Amino acid sequence: MVVLVLVISIIYSLPNLYSSYPALEINKNDKIDIYQIIDIIDPNIKVENVIQENNKFIFKFDSSKKQLDAYNKVSFSNIKTNYTLTNYINLPDWLKSINAYPMFLGLDLKGGVHFLLQVDKDNIKTNLLREIEDDVKDILIEKKLRYNSFYKTEEKVIVNFDIDKPSDEIIKTINDAVPDIVISRIISDKDISFEIIPSEDLISRDIASSLAKNLTILRSRVDELGVAQPILQKQGKDRIIVQLPGLQDSTRAKGILGSTATLEFRLTKGTPEDWYASKISGTPVINSSILYKQRDESPILLSRKVIVGGADIKGANSGFDSSTNTPAVFVNLSDYGASRMLDTTSKNIGSRMAVIFVEKNKKEVINVAVIREAFSKSFQITGLDINEATDLAILLRSGALSAPMEIIEERTVGPSLGEANILAGKNSIYFGLFLVGLFMLIYYRLFGFIANIALIANIVIITAVLSIFQATLTLSGIAGIVLTVGMAVDANVLIFERIREEIMNGNSPNASIYAGYQKAFSTISDANITTLIAAIALLTIGTGAVKGFAITLVVGILSSMFTSIVGTRALVSVIYERKNNKGLSI
Amino acid sequence: MFKLISSSLNYNFLGQKKIAIVISAFLIIVSLTSFMTKGLNWGIDFSSGYIVQLKFEKEVNISEIRSAFEENGVTDSVMQSFGSNNEIIIKLKEESNFNKESVNVFLVDTLSETHPFEILKLEFVGAQIGDELREKGEWAMLVALLSILVYIGFRFELLFGVGAIIALIHDVIITLGFFSLFQIEFDLSVLSAILAVIGYSLNDTIVVYDRIRENINIVKTDSYEYILNISINQTLTRTLITSLTTMFVLISLYTLGGSAVEYFALAMMIGILVGTYSSIFVASTSLYFLGANAEHRKDL
Repeated sequence: MVVLVLVISIIYSLPNLYSSYPALEINKNDKIDIYQIIDIIDPNIKVENVIQENNKFIFKFDSSKKQLDAYNKVSFSNIKTNYTLTNYINLPDWLKSINAYPMFLGLDLKGGVHFLLQVDKDNIKTNLLREIEDDVKDILIEKKLRYNSFYKTEEKVIVNFDIDKPSDEIIKTINDAVPDIVISRIISDKDISFEIIPSEDLISRDIASSLAKNLTILRSRVDELGVAQPILQKQGKDRIIVQLPGLQDSTRAKGILGSTATLEFRLTKGTPEDWYASKISGTPVINSSILYKQRDESPILLSRKVIVGGADIKGANSGFDSSTNTPAVFVNLSDYGASRMLDTTSKNIGSRMAVIFVEKNKKEVINVAVIREAFSKSFQITGLDINEATDLAILLRSGALSAPMEIIEERTVGPSLGEANILAGKNSIYFGLFLVGLFMLIYYRLFGFIANIALIANIVIITAVLSIFQATLTLSGIAGIVLTVGMAVDANVLIFERIREEIMNGNSPNASIYAGYQKAFSTISDANITTLIAAIALLTIGTGAVKGFAITLVVGILSSMFTSIVGTRALVSVIYERKNNKGLSI
Repeated sequence: MFKLISSSLNYNFLGQKKIAIVISAFLIIVSLTSFMTKGLNWGIDFSSGYIVQLKFEKEVNISEIRSAFEENGVTDSVMQSFGSNNEIIIKLKEESNFNKESVNVFLVDTLSETHPFEILKLEFVGAQIGDELREKGEWAMLVALLSILVYIGFRFELLFGVGAIIALIHDVIITLGFFSLFQIEFDLSVLSAILAVIGYSLNDTIVVYDRIRENINIVKTDSYEYILNISINQTLTRTLITSLTTMFVLISLYTLGGSAVEYFALAMMIGILVGTYSSIFVASTSLYFLGANAEHRKDL
């Protein structure tokens, strides 16, 4: 069994020995050829090697910096295909066929960006309150219950009635029509007020559904970023973790993930003279118009009516305008949006229409153009630079977030620091191993040698287990392994000390070995099980770094118990069995 | 056979219990006083804020970078060079007068124009995260301690569990005290180290207790103190060797592992030193005082 475990472990830890290259995978299709891509990537960024595999071109680079440069070039190049940042490892097919892959490296080792986003609870409350306001108003009007005043604060909706109104009946009417609200009654001498707030249950349900929708939307946005093996998962009730390995430019990722950006289309009002007059007076000089700013800070008046908003945009692509060769976003509208657009444009040929970029509370007019002919479903928008066009197309495609999300934690590790971390981790493991091994060899001689073999086996087993489960190895995980190395010899020390004692008591070598293992067993298991309890407590409660440490510690404790109790026992038996030993090399 | 300690050694450890109590009491008082006066120097993981580590292409002058920051309205940043002259760590507390987005924009758009750099590391932790992590860390420690108490109570007897926990709390307080006294940054990695120390210190204590349990069954006639002493002596070599081998790897981590695991290794080294001391002196002394009150020890 020992041999079997070892052989399996060696095989599954093998993939970790193959070196990996930063690479860019580009899906093949009939519109692109390899020279075109090389042109885009730029001759200055030296491509190490290009491999064609299945339906992909894999460009290998000798540094992550070149890989990222190339990635940025490709992502802003308007190329019609999918591409992904990856690490390319030239694994032999037989390893792939048994699912043997290297450990998954954490962001602190590989470099990358980690975000924790949280749903904006206040925004959700505000929106719920707005719906409640409308619904309550509707039902009161419908039931002809005349109120004195009806208004909304940031926290609640307040309705005021005369004192002689039947308050129980009012509450029942509102409750029947609008579920999941909490109504409190405040009676004064002259009147009755009802304060209405959404119930906690309603808020948490709304948060849960927004979170689920946002997760889908974020996933599609992340896919557009072209990062290999991104991690997106829910955390707790109102958070989403996003991990983007390999990425370095957190600014762009952040802009895209947290963005609520969308577009609006409106007709303009008045003439440029009116616009400037409005700017000077500070209020629109034309009725039912709003004063906006254009990109060059110049004023413009737009109609209050939105022709088409973000919800009506079904698809978008970025590219270049064929006649002027300026960056453009090609927009596709939903059927409803298309009919509204057709309706408006056919009635307003010769008028001007503005495209407004809406992001949170900021609205900016990016383009104003004369409507030359009626159009409906598909059209293009210019007036953005190429990066903005690319990002806006991504955002429009994925749809708007159903509730704004705030970034509450961000961690970026540059690839060069990641590489340095790996190197430091490896070196400290090797050096620590060397010191421990040397000590054991001097102190316990042959038995020390056996313990050292067990120690190496231990590391191989830990590596294999982590690789098989595709666990994420982080720097704290490496610390866990290093610690296990120190503690792994402990079980052997316990056994060897016992054997020495038995020999000192005058027992024969073979009897001493037997008794040593026998007596040390309960100590070893008690000691390890208590450590295991501590490690599992870490595992269940901890997050991030603590968890990484706990995982390797748990695996390490189990494997060190196995190697020292079963493994060294087997080796010792092979060496000393059936010989009439005069003494032990211990 | 090469030996660290003569096998005929029978040192009267419990005879030194008064000295041990004085030493431990002194260390604990110093640690607790330091908590109350200085507190822990919470790292960004627990205190929230913004840290960015930049590697410039050329050597830079910190004051130059600082004034560039100040021109952009960020006045209360803490900057220090890191390793070489072209690496700088910039720290901002969350309550400071910066806006996270504007700092990012400033770094990428403005500073990189005049002083080209590569971002080695960037961390932002919001206030709620810091508080939550601290709470979670406290829970992790509590749950670990309780479940260990239950296990030892089950395997040995409750008094042994209490003795082990006393030794454990002793180790944790002194290790934390060290971090407080020298105001070394307490981050997540140090928390993992403290939790590892809990596991390790237990391991040590259990080995001694296991021997005590075994000896109680063999030498029924001798005094409790004698049994405790002989058990400590019998396990002494093992206690020292294991501490030594673990120390070897920690030293290697501390010197070669790089800045990210530096504090982890330091916390572990302190913890192991204290843990070795406590498993020899504190664990058995507390057992002695706890057990002195119990009349019958035959049930073990």
